[in-house]
Amino acid sequence: MDVKNVAPFMAAFNVVMPLLGLKNVSKSDLQAKGKTFKGSGIIIIVGMVGDLKGNVVYVIEKEHATKLASFMTDNATNSLDEMAKSALGELTNMITAHAATAFSAMNVFMKISTPICIEGDEIDITMNAEKVICLPMLVGDSVIDVNISFENICAT
Amino acid sequence: MVEAEGSSPPPTIKFAYILRGYVMKNIRVVVVDDSALSVALISEILERNGYEVVGSAGGLDEVKKVIKETMPDLVTMDMTMPGTDGLECTRAVHEINKDIRVIVISSMMDDEIVSQAKRNRVSGYIQKPVDDGDLVAIIERVMSAEELFTVLKSEYFEVFKEALRDGLNRLTKTLITYEEEFLCESEYTTEGVAVMIGIIGEFPGKMLISLSKSTAHVLTTTVLKREPSGNDEIVETMSEFANIVAGNACSVLNKRNRAYGLRVSPPSVLRGDNMKISPLNYPTYTVIGETVFGKMLMNVGFKRGEIDAWT
Repeated sequence: MDVKNVAPFMAAFNVVMPLLGLKNVSKSDLQAKGKTFKGSGIIIIVGMVGDLKGNVVYVIEKEHATKLASFMTDNATNSLDEMAKSALGELTNMITAHAATAFSAMNVFMKISTPICIEGDEIDITMNAEKVICLPMLVGDSVIDVNISFENICAT
Repeated sequence: MVEAEGSSPPPTIKFAYILRGYVMKNIRVVVVDDSALSVALISEILERNGYEVVGSAGGLDEVKKVIKETMPDLVTMDMTMPGTDGLECTRAVHEINKDIRVIVISSMMDDEIVSQAKRNRVSGYIQKPVDDGDLVAIIERVMSAEELFTVLKSEYFEVFKEALRDGLNRLTKTLITYEEEFLCESEYTTEGVAVMIGIIGEFPGKMLISLSKSTAHVLTTTVLKREPSGNDEIVETMSEFANIVAGNACSVLNKRNRAYGLRVSPPSVLRGDNMKISPLNYPTYTVIGETVFGKMLMNVGFKRGEIDAWT
């Protein structure tokens, strides 16, 4: 696995989360996943296209997603309603945009799509690349799984 | 030789103005600044370059009042005002109408304040004293993106519907009959197989094609001319199908206007029961069609970029 392509996402978390007042950010061990994996809770997909082409799938368990959204909206919501999802959509959009900026510093230029947000249980998610790298990020006591898959990246 | 003050603007600005006259509607502007002199200077530049100044304001309450009354296309915004600041006023403008574009004109300009302005959905930032050329250039960039988005909005859904019809016909020699279509502004539930494609370009967007597991199975059988060997083949076929639809639709749109620069991300396929799809604050269009394989739903939408004129 080329850690170069994970670093921009870690950097993005370290920039974006403190801006939102969430200073306690760390990462767990990277996991290699096959092209199909299961996800429950909030699943947000953002496309990235340019010098590389792929998708980032953020998976957040419901309880953690509710907590994050509640924090982001100053407790304006305590359930996974439209406002909560919109806040999480904005969060993942910001993280992906910052990651794209961090990639550009490595001379890899990409633009990002709008996020697609799905709530569900035990969803089978299939990406278009053979290998998916999962970067579990800990934000406070919430976990955000960042599943990264680029088409022309050889993950070994 | 001394040039007279207030001489005619340089040729590039004239050209932009002439061009705008042909392709754009009249642009209505509100000038926000607590200094009467600044309001006069900025208004004069705007009017000399063909913009219509429809009002001015020097504080938060005035901003709210003038914006509600005039609903301009664009606001020029000072940063420092008594009792408020340009960011608070920008948020007030967007609370009234999120589509109004705001360009900050301020004597202060540093990384921190520019970054705050971006976070508050300011579309562009220039420093005082205002240079005619800079102001016109930034307005042109902001408003031409606005105009381009209006055109995209008016044409993309029909193009995607045609691409879905065409894609299905090419792969299976069958037809789709559209039964229902609607503007989708709230969450909807789908089940079975949903293929998501992100769209990248001047305006980002997304497309989703959703169908039941049995519809996906029969469709795959028809495409492959045999029973699929398992879920992987169904997923792969649905992926390719959605990729063809989104790819073709974006190509057609790009041919109509190269400035769109649309490209698609690789498809992601989700399978499950009771998948709730959220529109995330921007309207998308949904069409539901009947095919010989079963019902098919397509949802597609684009979002206007928040920030257009940052360099």
